[in-house]
Amino acid sequence: MKVSLLFLAVGFVLLLLQTTLPRIVPMGPFVPDLALVLCVYLGLNHPTIGAVVGTFLLGYSVDVFSSNILGLNAFALSLVFITAYLSSRAIWVHSPLLSASVVFLASWVKGGSLMLLWATFLTMDRYGLGSVKYILVDALLAAVLAPALFALLKRGQNYLERVKMPEEIK
Amino acid sequence: MLSFLRRNQVLFSAFLSVLLSLYIIAPAAKGQHRADPIGPLLIAVMRPLQSGIQASFLGIRGFFMNYAALRGVANENERLKARVRELEGEKSRLLEEEATNKRLRELMEFRSEWAPKSMTASVIANSASTYFHTLIIDKGKKDGVEKGMAVISALGVVGQVVSTSSRNAKVLLVTDAHSGVDAMGQRTRARGIVSGSLESGTVMKYVKRSEDVKEGDRLVTSGLDGVFPKGLMIGTVSKVNKKNLGLFQYIEVSLAVDPGRVEEVLVVRGPAPEIKD
Repeated sequence: MKVSLLFLAVGFVLLLLQTTLPRIVPMGPFVPDLALVLCVYLGLNHPTIGAVVGTFLLGYSVDVFSSNILGLNAFALSLVFITAYLSSRAIWVHSPLLSASVVFLASWVKGGSLMLLWATFLTMDRYGLGSVKYILVDALLAAVLAPALFALLKRGQNYLERVKMPEEIK
Repeated sequence: MLSFLRRNQVLFSAFLSVLLSLYIIAPAAKGQHRADPIGPLLIAVMRPLQSGIQASFLGIRGFFMNYAALRGVANENERLKARVRELEGEKSRLLEEEATNKRLRELMEFRSEWAPKSMTASVIANSASTYFHTLIIDKGKKDGVEKGMAVISALGVVGQVVSTSSRNAKVLLVTDAHSGVDAMGQRTRARGIVSGSLESGTVMKYVKRSEDVKEGDRLVTSGLDGVFPKGLMIGTVSKVNKKNLGLFQYIEVSLAVDPGRVEEVLVVRGPAPEIKD
């Protein structure tokens, strides 16, 4: 329960940062995808139904602040969660380099799924090879941030898992 | 069966959330929008926090920038240094206020000149994603903001309102790949649609190859989309390419306004007026 609350709070803070950082530190059209890093972390280290709901809500919240079509980011981040969850059965992410690599790949999953949705529901003419540049830079940004964020989340999770609830002590 | 479901409950619930997302997206394919019960609430909760973070950061940045500029006075005594630091804080606050006042004054002059019905709004949040270019402004339904209204600044086109809540509105920027502004060249009146693109920034589409468009040409709104007033500055042509096969030429646009950095905007109410040259 405590861990779930931690992730809920972290999700809220990351969303807050994601919506205000571009105004404070302009990086052109690129926005560091902190929500994606959290979703990958949840898929790898805390795969519960609560995490699935959290991922969906986080994606929906990103849609509220950015997309003119609701559900696009909710869809993409849910797919990212599934990818991270399935890969957690095969790999153990224990090093910063590995966490950055997984987030880098997850960002491609997200970018690819958004392009697929746009092509399906909207029009195709706007998305050609040039769009790959966006996915690449977005993926690199997220990958650079991933090790630090993973370390912080792991530390918080470990701390809370060590602290027992009163009923657990009994 | 039950134990299989229980073993894979995370996977099943994740697939369910994917399906739920598709259910939410589906109306967009028909050009409709599903009602959003959570969005306005979330924006209302986040708004004061976003404004707080932004204001604190600008204050800190102003302090350090002024401090850096005044490092040359290192030989001054401690009392003066302390006084300078004190004044730096005050100065950064005043500079920020002066800059805001200047922007607002320009906006007001522009507004009273041609769009008295428009209202000013402040930008409170940016898009949370690389793939979408939107802004959240601090005016909503209660202030008379409605979906489809044009959002402009004294320098030119910013975007269009795509959704509103009671106190906020979401603006789709002209740089977004899903936006479109009916535009024309000021020199030759060549018409096209200015839109964002993930390929190469902002472009002007559907301009016939026979049209005379050159680099440096000023682009203004045509007023034919019924959203933006006629004659409003959009930007200048930065690149023209007629080499590709096809009916249209490829035109890249350098916008007059950087919509991602604009802080105050005008929301145009009522029918779009015409700008006088």
